[in-house]
Amino acid sequence: MSRFFNSMRDGVGFDLILVGAAMLFLLALAGLPLVYNVLMSFQQVDMFTLGSLIRPFAGFTNYVAVVAQPEFWLVTKNTLIFVFASMAGQFVIGFALAIFFAQNFPGASTIRGLFLVSWVMPGLVVGALWSSILAGDFGVLNFLLRSVGLIEGTIFWKSDPNFALWAVVIANIWLGLAFNMLLLSVGLAAIPRDLYEAAELDGANAFQRFWTITLPMMRSTIGAVMSLGLIGTLQQFDLFPALTEGGPANTSTVAGYWAWQMSFQLYDFAKGATISVMMFVLVLFASVVYVRSTRHEVRG
Amino acid sequence: MSAQIELSNIEKHYGAFHALKNVSLTIEKGSFVALVGPSGCGKSTLLRSIAGLETISGGTLKIAGAVMTGVPPRKRDVAMVFQSYALYPHMTVEENLTYSLRLHGVGKAEAKAKAAEVAATTGLSALLKRYPRELSGGQRQRVAMGRAIIRNPKAFLFDEPLSNLDAALRVHMRKEIRALHDRLGATSVYVTHDQIEAMTMADHVVVMRDGVIEQQGSPLELYDTPVSKFVAGFIGSPAMNFVPGTIAADGQSVRLELEGNPVLPLGRTMEVGRQVMVGLRPEHLVIAEGGDVALQLPVAVVESTGSMTYVATNTTPELTVVETRRTHLQAGNTIGITIDPGHIHMFDPTTGLAI
Repeated sequence: MSRFFNSMRDGVGFDLILVGAAMLFLLALAGLPLVYNVLMSFQQVDMFTLGSLIRPFAGFTNYVAVVAQPEFWLVTKNTLIFVFASMAGQFVIGFALAIFFAQNFPGASTIRGLFLVSWVMPGLVVGALWSSILAGDFGVLNFLLRSVGLIEGTIFWKSDPNFALWAVVIANIWLGLAFNMLLLSVGLAAIPRDLYEAAELDGANAFQRFWTITLPMMRSTIGAVMSLGLIGTLQQFDLFPALTEGGPANTSTVAGYWAWQMSFQLYDFAKGATISVMMFVLVLFASVVYVRSTRHEVRG
Repeated sequence: MSAQIELSNIEKHYGAFHALKNVSLTIEKGSFVALVGPSGCGKSTLLRSIAGLETISGGTLKIAGAVMTGVPPRKRDVAMVFQSYALYPHMTVEENLTYSLRLHGVGKAEAKAKAAEVAATTGLSALLKRYPRELSGGQRQRVAMGRAIIRNPKAFLFDEPLSNLDAALRVHMRKEIRALHDRLGATSVYVTHDQIEAMTMADHVVVMRDGVIEQQGSPLELYDTPVSKFVAGFIGSPAMNFVPGTIAADGQSVRLELEGNPVLPLGRTMEVGRQVMVGLRPEHLVIAEGGDVALQLPVAVVESTGSMTYVATNTTPELTVVETRRTHLQAGNTIGITIDPGHIHMFDPTTGLAI
């Protein structure tokens, strides 16, 4: 018995307790809901069987039905545009800002800290903010664009089918910018100064130093930013109800919002679950690519 | 393609801190010059200024006769070996070596051939496909050297390249670097805080202190005729002993402020009553077997390294004596010391300058 307690204190037993606690947490709060979600996507679910675990097996009927939905391809296209445009915007502007603030000018770190405001704010608040900025008749963005002569009439960002999705993309880029910038700043700061000096003496100009030193040394950071960006963007929900509610005519509906609509507005829980399983597969694929790419991570 | 480096009246300010004060130095083509001094003396700043990694606040810097003001490091054609080696961790040894060649548009095959050639001279041939993290400290050091050699630059700049190596390897690499310098005939500037490295490797040693050049010359010039107490104490190991003293009434000898107030003959005439700082190198204090001795000193500690014995005396200030013969001295013994008057150094106690 004392042997048992000894091993609890400083042996394998303690390791098992630590691992067990983490595993229990993951299993209860992430594993089980996930399994239940996958299970539901293969079942017939209606309002009367909501409370039961065992329901009639439906095979791939739900998957076929989701793909057959008239809006399926529109939502797929919207999701792709939303994800790629948001990630590209967040990454490129975030990287540029990270490099900008890596130059040691007075107040650099303070101003960089202030950028975190966008990340601290809840998505719904950010949505409300951008809702005002993007408003067609009194919005600031239209006023600015008109003042510099880029547009003549008013653009109804949130209700024009051509712009609705982009309105959410703009707000989402702003929302995720600070997070990208912060992670990339950390990656930049981890590159030893003398590598740049050695490269400079070896004859590399600023552009060559960026391509041959900064980017390869940032590889794992960029991988992390990209995969977290993908997950964050696919999860983005708050901005949609705050800005466009997926409209007009589903032109700004993305997969995540669609799954929510299916489940909690149309009460078609099977289809909602099916859409989220499809998204899960996509994220899983991206995660595997990320993990593989960082396997041979290099740091000096 | 080695070149002469000329520094005239170099100034460097970091805000209020004056790092280099009116430094003038000519580094001859093909010579091996060591910049040595305690940390914070400006030696690294001076080296980085030559490389262009620091912009100088004043004065002119010429490499091969061309003024380097406003010339970025990549256009100066100098190679630097960093203390940390600064190898590119995401590149193999071969890629590290050929990086500069690829930037200058040298073809793949030619770069590969050059890398093989340099690898052969630096003993890296078997390691070309490895990454820096898979190399030992000594091997990384060689890659850093190879990366400098492959470019055939106007000058090699070394920034304390051996300080991350263990003692045995340091002694070995010292010889290798010097041999490489002799073979390539390149101009080399070598920064170190280790006076032994400076003395053993360089043709010309520059001792720096607080941003000024205290003294420069051949290693033995610095050892034999230091211009100041600072240089005298910095060059030589173990360090020179300093004892305050007063010139005695005959003007030909000095009375030391040591237990018993012994008097040392000087072999020259000086102003009677003048306060001086007497410098005595440990290796110039010879333990005498009886007979006429200059000093009688009680022994506090005896340390033997096998080849040499270090004797510390029980006096204020403590003196160190080096004896190369076997001795049976013990703490508490008294030793008699003779000194060749030609080996007595004298410094002004206020200015620290040699008299």
